[in-house]
Order: sequence, then structure tokens, then C-alpha cells
Amino acid sequence: MTKADVNKLDNEQLSALLDGEQQLTDEAITNDDVTTFGRYAMIGDVMRAEANNSAFNFDIADAVADALEHEPVYADFANKTTAPKSEEIVAATGTDNVVAFNWRRPFAQVAIAASVAMFAIVGVQTLPQNSESPQSEIPLLQTTPLTGVASPVSYSSEQPALENAQQGLRELQQQRIGALVLEHQRQARVAYSLEKSQTAANADEEKN
Amino acid sequence: MKVFTFILSLVLIAPAFASDENPAKALLLDMAEAVHTRNFDASFVVVKGQAMEPYRWLHAKQGNVELEHLSLLNGAGLEMARVNDQVTYFEPHSEPYSVQTDSIAGPIPEVLFKDIERLSAQYDFVLGGKGRIAGRSAQLVRIESKDEYKFNYWIWLDLESSLLLKSAYVNHKGEMLEQLQLTHISVTEQPAQMLLEMQNRDFPPPLPVSEIDNESTGSAVNNWKIGWLPAGFKLLKSDRHKLDLNNELTDYYLYSDGFVEVSVFVQRPLPGKRPSGALSSGATTVYVHNGGSFDVSVVGNIPAMTAKAIAESVARPL
Repeated sequence: MTKADVNKLDNEQLSALLDGEQQLTDEAITNDDVTTFGRYAMIGDVMRAEANNSAFNFDIADAVADALEHEPVYADFANKTTAPKSEEIVAATGTDNVVAFNWRRPFAQVAIAASVAMFAIVGVQTLPQNSESPQSEIPLLQTTPLTGVASPVSYSSEQPALENAQQGLRELQQQRIGALVLEHQRQARVAYSLEKSQTAANADEEKN
Repeated sequence: MKVFTFILSLVLIAPAFASDENPAKALLLDMAEAVHTRNFDASFVVVKGQAMEPYRWLHAKQGNVELEHLSLLNGAGLEMARVNDQVTYFEPHSEPYSVQTDSIAGPIPEVLFKDIERLSAQYDFVLGGKGRIAGRSAQLVRIESKDEYKFNYWIWLDLESSLLLKSAYVNHKGEMLEQLQLTHISVTEQPAQMLLEMQNRDFPPPLPVSEIDNESTGSAVNNWKIGWLPAGFKLLKSDRHKLDLNNELTDYYLYSDGFVEVSVFVQRPLPGKRPSGALSSGATTVYVHNGGSFDVSVVGNIPAMTAKAIAESVARPL
């Protein structure tokens, strides 16, 4: 029998003793290590949640409250109806821990990495043949679903897929694709004002 | 008698056909008006394959002021606020900015809130069946591309309020690629309090069109020859600029046919073996083409075949 096994055996006896499953004898007490005894006693007390036991006063409420106090505020839905104007938010940042990100302060910390990763490439496939079309074959870099420009994409769920990819593209290309999609979305927003101004310019030219 | 019945039916059917061309368009125009005049609070989801994006959409008309707010509820979020013809976009990790336009560029194609008449050259408007969507009776209107290079767009409209209840990008096999579905809508007499507060906020001043346009940055129109685009697409903008996320330099071209926008990027090639290929999510396609000494990427709500054809048509100017 190894030393470890002996110790384990001893401790089992001790534990049984404390739980009242074994007779208490002087011999047993003296034989046992005082600190081990103390530790086991504490475990037992905690498990039984004995009342009025000041030794186990784990009052962490203050500590949590304190931590919360110093936590920056990212979104304050409770105050949204009475939210201060934007200038006031800016003014408040000096004293408060409010992150004046924007008008309604979305969750800045989840942020942009998601939009870079939104087209996660998991492999290269070939579209099924379509005999009617002259360009019958198109390689399809398959993706995990796009969840919008700024939805969170969990890296942990993506990772196995990426590893499995037989022809996974380089991180660089992924980054680039993320950047392109974001840029496209942004540019599309000004499309209408551009079109309007072009139409207006054309109308002017026709007049002249 | 038979002949008479035949002639009678012809007489009866003819006017029905004559006016049949308009109801679909008329319904869409009603919808555009309703979206601009009603006070409503709606929630909808956009389903792209297996992914889903929930949005909240509020609109109010208070006197002469139109107020609209659209926000993406998942993830880091995206907020769009409109006061009359100024739209401000709030994105994570970048300064909010405003654009002078009278509709929000969200998941619903902007043109639907405007005059859809100009799409007539490239799209047909077809009345579909009736059904029940979001607990209301709905009429389907199909916007069908006249060629196979673009997707079709189907819209279900509320028969009562004329508001949009559901819409979908549909390919030519009739498969829905990306669906937008209202889960709740309440049309109210009074505008939502949140929108009224929006009136008193300071938004960044809109970017002048000249800054958006290529005048300040210089046109890139002669840098590359883009050989092919589906009929109806016009160049709206071209320039050379750096991309926000990875700081890469790109020659950029923005095209639109009034319904969908297509971006063409020409960039320095990436190192290593780069297969050409398409990525898609919902209706959005990204086609990356390895042009040898340059890379072409095409992004837009178009079929992969179209994106491929556009990308491969890009060449150095002679």
C-alpha cells in the first residue's frame, strides 16, 4: 500500500468520525492531524449550514457592489426614457464611469471582431452542375451563416469548423472579406443620395 | 350562343387585364405611403439561412416631422435614426454619421419606400396570392427580375394597413434565400414617446454629397475596365480609398439598378494560393476573383453567377 492510499484511508475514517458515523475515541483524535481535523470540521459546518456561525460569514455583497460601482456602464435601458441629451452624456463621462459611445450606447465591447469574422470560411464546394447555364460551375466557398454586420460570432463554435476546413482560406482573406462586406453596407447607404444628385446634375446638363 | 359567350368573356376579361397590371404597383405605392405616414411599432426578424437577426422598427409622423428608428437587437447592435430627410447611423467602434436621405438603408430595400415606378424597366410587378402573415390577412406582390441576373423579391402586404408584413429574396428556382418577417406590429394614433424624444436630440450634420461623391477623392473610373454588368446598372461612385477594418487600399466602384447595390473592389493580390470562389449568406454574395496580378471582389445581393461574371469582366484598361 502506498503512502497516498494510507492517507486517504485515514481521511475517510476521520470524515466518517465527524459525520457521526464512527465512535469518537481519544486515540482517534490524537492520531489525527489537527489541521486536517479542523478543515474537515469546517467543511462539515458549511455543508450543514449551521446557524449563527460567524466564521463563515461570506458576505460578498459589499465587494460586488463595490465592483459594480467601478464598472463602466455600456447600456442603461432603465433610464432610456429619461436619458440625458447627448451633450449631457459627454459631460457626465468625466465624473461617471459611463462610456459615451453613442446615442443609446450599444454594447461596444462585443464589437467589431464579429463583423470581421461573419463570413467564416469552412470549406470550398462546387455548385451543382447546371447544364442550362454556360458558366456551369462556380466554386462556392462555404460559410457559416452571416449574422449581420455586428452580431456576435462565437470563436469557440467557429474554431472546429475552421480546423475541419480542407481548404480553409487564410485569415487575411477572411479579414478582407469582412472589411469588404462592411464597406459595401456602408457605401450602399449613400447610394440614394448619390443617385439623386446625379439625376439632378443630369437634369441641369439637359437644361443648359 | 357559344360565340356570344366567348365574345362576352373577352369583353369582360380585357379591362380586367388592362387594370391587372397596376394593382401590384398600386399596392406597393400604398405601402410606401403607409410607411411614411403611420405611427407604428413593429418587430421583425431577418432569416438568412440558419442565422437570424431581430430588429425593432418604429415610425411616427408628428405634424410635418417624420421620425423613424430601426435597431438591430442582437450582438453589438446597429442603430439607425431618421428625422425627416436626415438618417444617422450608429455603429459599434465608429463615430456616428448622418446622410441626407429620406429613408433608412436597412434590411428592406430602400426603393420600396419610394417611387417603384423606376424599377419598371428591369422588373415586373406581379400580384400573387393572399394568405395570413403575422396574424393578418396579406396580399403577395412579386417583384420579378426580367433577366436571370438578379434575384426576385416577394412582398406580403397587410390588406388593412398596407404595411409590409413579410418579404423575401427569391432565386429563379423559387427558393427563398433571405426572409424578413414581422413578428409584431401595432399601429397607433399617438407616436411612440421614444421617437418624440428623438426630435430634441443633436445628430451629427449630414455629410455633403460632394464628400460622399468622388470629387474630393478623385475618380477611379479609368483605373480599371469593368466589362460587364447586368442591364440597368449605373455607376454611382468610384474612388480609391482605404478600407476601414484592415486598412487595405482598394479601387472602389458602386453600382445600382435602383433596387440592389453592387460593390466592385479591385485590390492588390493577397499572398499565397488564393482560389476564386463565392461566399453567400442569405441573399448577399461575395465573389472573390483571383485576377493574377490583382484581386477583384464583388459584393451585393445578386446571384453568385452574376457576381462571378462581373468579377471576371474586370480588366486593365487598354
